Amino acid sequence: MNALYWWLLLSFLLFCIGAFGVLARRNVILVVMSLEIMLNAVNLALVATANFRGGAKGAGTMFALFIIVLAAAEVTIGLAIVIANYRNRRTVQTDTYDELKG
Amino acid sequence: MPGGDFHPWYFAVVAVWVLVCGLGVVLFKKIMYSAVAMVFCFLGVAFAYALLNSPLVAIIQILVYVGAISIVVIFAIMLTEVQSGKLELFFNRQTAVAAVAALLGAAILAAVSLSANIGRISPLSKAPGLNELSRLIFSRYVFPFELVSLVLVAAMIGAIVLATRERERP
Amino acid sequence: MEGTQYMKIAVALIPLLPLLGFILTLVLGKRWGARAHLLPVALVTVSAALSIYAFVWSFTHQHQTFVWNAFTWIAAGRYTVPWGFQVDTLTGVMLLVVGIIGCVVHYYSIGYMHGDEGYYRFFAYLNLFMFAMFMLILADSYLLLFLGWEGVGLCSYLLIAFWFRKKSASQAGKKAFIVNRVGDFGFTLGMFAILVATGTLQFTGVFDKAAHGDIAAGTLTWICLLLFTGAIGKSAQFPLHVWLPDAMEGPTPVSALIHAATMVNAGVYMVARSYPLFIQSHTAMLVVMGIGTFTAILAAYIAITQNDIKKVIAYSTISSLGFMFLALGAGAWVAGIFYLFAHGFFKGLLFLCSGSVIHAMGGEQDMRKMGGLRKKLPITFWTMLIGALSMIGMIPFAGFWAKDEIVGAAFVHGYYVVWAVALVTVLLTGIYIFRMMFLTFWGENRSDAEVQAHIHESPAIMTVPLIVLAIPAALLGLVVGIPPEGGWLHRFLEPVFFDLEHEAFTWIGEGGALMGVSLILVIVGIVVAWWLYIRQPDIPGRIAERVPWGYRASLNKVYLDDIYAVVPVGATLGFADWLWQFFDAKVIDGAVNGVARLWGWIGDRLRPIQTGRVQNYAMYVFGGMVVLVVILAWVWGN
Repeated sequence: MNALYWWLLLSFLLFCIGAFGVLARRNVILVVMSLEIMLNAVNLALVATANFRGGAKGAGTMFALFIIVLAAAEVTIGLAIVIANYRNRRTVQTDTYDELKG
Repeated sequence: MPGGDFHPWYFAVVAVWVLVCGLGVVLFKKIMYSAVAMVFCFLGVAFAYALLNSPLVAIIQILVYVGAISIVVIFAIMLTEVQSGKLELFFNRQTAVAAVAALLGAAILAAVSLSANIGRISPLSKAPGLNELSRLIFSRYVFPFELVSLVLVAAMIGAIVLATRERERP
Repeated sequence: MEGTQYMKIAVALIPLLPLLGFILTLVLGKRWGARAHLLPVALVTVSAALSIYAFVWSFTHQHQTFVWNAFTWIAAGRYTVPWGFQVDTLTGVMLLVVGIIGCVVHYYSIGYMHGDEGYYRFFAYLNLFMFAMFMLILADSYLLLFLGWEGVGLCSYLLIAFWFRKKSASQAGKKAFIVNRVGDFGFTLGMFAILVATGTLQFTGVFDKAAHGDIAAGTLTWICLLLFTGAIGKSAQFPLHVWLPDAMEGPTPVSALIHAATMVNAGVYMVARSYPLFIQSHTAMLVVMGIGTFTAILAAYIAITQNDIKKVIAYSTISSLGFMFLALGAGAWVAGIFYLFAHGFFKGLLFLCSGSVIHAMGGEQDMRKMGGLRKKLPITFWTMLIGALSMIGMIPFAGFWAKDEIVGAAFVHGYYVVWAVALVTVLLTGIYIFRMMFLTFWGENRSDAEVQAHIHESPAIMTVPLIVLAIPAALLGLVVGIPPEGGWLHRFLEPVFFDLEHEAFTWIGEGGALMGVSLILVIVGIVVAWWLYIRQPDIPGRIAERVPWGYRASLNKVYLDDIYAVVPVGATLGFADWLWQFFDAKVIDGAVNGVARLWGWIGDRLRPIQTGRVQNYAMYVFGGMVVLVVILAWVWGN
C-alpha cells in the first residue's frame, strides 16, 4: 500500500469511468470525450510509475508526452469525421449508426 | 518518501477533484455540462502531474488538452447541437451492463495490482527534470518526435479534407 | 494325366481367341463396316478346330483327364484360386457341341444379320459368348465354371436385348438376366456350402472328399439342391423358365446358339459334372427328375397353342431340357448327355431354319400367316423336316435314340409315373411340332400378296449351315447311340459316370417293347397333327370352344408371367416406391435439408449480435477483457 499504489488506483478508477462513458453514452461526441478521459488515466499511470520507479532512460515521461500529442491528433480527426457524418444524417446518436447491421 | 514526497492531503484533494469531474463527464445529461467537467478534469490531472514532479508534462497537459482539445470538442458540440427537447435515452440495458462491467473492471484491476508486486518503489528514482527531458527529446527520442510531427501534419490535412463542404460544381 | 505342350496351347487358345475377337471387334468393328465379321468368324473357326482337336485327344486318352493349372487367378491370403483347365471325355463331348454349333451359327449370322446397324456389335458379343461358354466347360473348379456361367448370362442379356431400341427386346433381356440371377443366387449358396464342407472349389478336391464320404449326407443333399437351383435358372426349368420364350426377341442366331445349343445346356452340364455329388443324394436326384418331368410336360402343354414359330421352338427347348434333367435324375446320365448332344444339333437346326423362314417371309413370325412354303423354300423345308423328325423322336433320327433311351430308363428304374408323363409329353411333342410344320409348309399361303411376292429361299451362307447341322441331326444316333445302353457314347463317358449300372438292352423284350411304345406315340402325334391342321382345320377351333379354360391356360403360358408380375415384381416395385416416397423423400431428404435448415436457424438466432453499433462491439471487447483478466489472475495465482 505504498504511494505508487494509490496513484495507480486513481488511474484505474478514472480509466473505468472513461470506459463506462464510452460504452454507455449515446452521443458520439460524449464518447470521444470519455475516450480522452481514458487516455488521461493511462497517462497518469505512466507518469506516476516514472516518478516512483524511474529508470528506463526517461521512457515513462516521454511516452506520456507522445500520448498527449497523438491524442490531440486523434481527437481532431475523430471530431472532423463526426461533423462530416452529422452533415449527412443530421444526428449524433450512436444507435443510428447501424449500417453494418447483419 | 523517495521519489518525491507523497503528500497524502494533496493527493486526496487532487484525486477527489479528478474523480468527481470524471464522473461528471460521463453522467451529465447535457453535453455542455460534460464538456465543462472535462476541462476541469484535465486541470486536475495537470495538478496531479505537478504533484508527481513532472512540471513539463503538466504544462503541456494544460496547453494541449485544456487549451486545444477542449476547444475542439466544444466547437464540435456547438456544430452538432441537437434540437432542444430531445433527450437521449439514458437508462437501458447497455448502460446497466456497462456499469457493471466497469465496476468489475476497476475492482479486478485493483485486486490484481494489490496482490502483485508492482508497487515497489526504488529509493533513487525520480521523474526526469526539464533539462533532461529536452536532451532526451533531441537525442534518444528524436525519431519518434519527427514521426509524431508527421502524424500531426497528416491529421491536419485529414481534418481539412473531411471538414470541407462539397462545393456545387456549375 | 498328361499335359502335352500342344494340348496346353490348344486348350489355352480355345477360349482366348474369341475373347480377343470380342475386344478387337468391339473396339475396331465400327470401322470395318460390313466386313466386321471377318475376324470374329475366323477366330471362332480356329477355336472350333482346336475344340475338335481337344475332343480327339480325349478320344485317344479316354481314361485320363487333362488338368492344367495355367496361373493363379485369385490369391487371397491362404486361399488361392487357380485358373485351371480340365479336359475329360465329358468335356470332349461338350466341346464338340459348343465348337461346331458355335462356328456354324457365326457363319449363318453373316447372312442373317446382313445390313443390321449393329453388325459388328453382334459378332463381338457372339465372340464374348463363345469365350464364356468355353471357359464354362473347360473349367476345373466351380468358381471358374461360375465365371463362364455368369459370362454366358451376361451375353444372353446383351444379345437378347440386341435390338435395344425395341422396348420388348430390352425388357426381355432384363427378364432373362434377372430370372437367371435368382438361380445364380442358389448356385452361389451351393458354392459356399461346398467351400465350407470341403475347403476347396476345385472339382478334383471336392469329388475326392465326396468319394471318401467326408461330406455329411444332409449337407451333400443341400449342396446338390442349391447347385440345381442354378441349373433351374440357367436351363429354364419350372419355375424359372419364363425368360426363355421372351428371349425370342433376340435375333434368331442368338436363339439357336444360346437358347438351344449351348447356354441352356450349361445347367445340364453342371449337374452332369457334379455326378459324384448327386449320386450320393437320392433326394436330390428325385428333385431333379421331378422338376425336369414337370417342366417337360408343362412346356409341351403351352406349346400346343402358340402361334409364333419361334415361341413354339422355345417351349420345345424347355421341354427338351426337362427331358435331360429327367434323364439325369432318373439315373440315365449318359442318356441325358446323349440327348444334350443330339439336341444341340436338331434344336439349333430348327431355330436356324425358322430364321430362314422368317427371313423369307420378310420378318413375319406368326404361323397363321404362313403356309405352302414347301415348294418355295426347298432346302429350308427338307432340313427343317429332318430337324422336326429328330426332335419328336422318329426312327432312325438322332432324337429317337436319345429320347427313347431316356423314356426307357425311366421305366426300367421303376419310375412308372414319370414314364407315363414322359410318354404323354412325347405325344404332345409330336403334335405341336408337326402342327408347326403343317401350318408353315403345307396348305395355301395365308399372307398378303406383297409378302408372297418376296418369298425366296435364303442365300447359301444361310442354307449351308442348315445342311451342315442336318447331317448330325439325322445320323448322330446311328453313329454314337447304337445299341441303346451300350453304344459308343456309353463307353466313351464311362470314366466320367463311373459305377453306373448298365442294363443290357434287349431288342426283343423289355427294351424293344418300350421303344415300340414311344415310336407308336410319335406316329400318332404326327397323324393327329395332320388330321387337325390339314384334313379338318376347324376341329382345333371347336376343341378350344369346348375347353376354353384349358385353351386359355395354354395360350397364356399358365398365367405364370402374370403371377410373377404381381408377386415378386409387384412387391419389389411397391417396396421401391415406398422407399422412394417415404424413406428417401421424407427421412433422408428431411435429414439433409434439416441440417441445412439448422444452420440457417442458428444464423437467424445469432444475427442480433451484429447490431452494427460500435458501442455494442466495444462492450463485447471490454467484457471479454475483464473475463480474460479474471481467468489469467486465477491461473497465475495458483
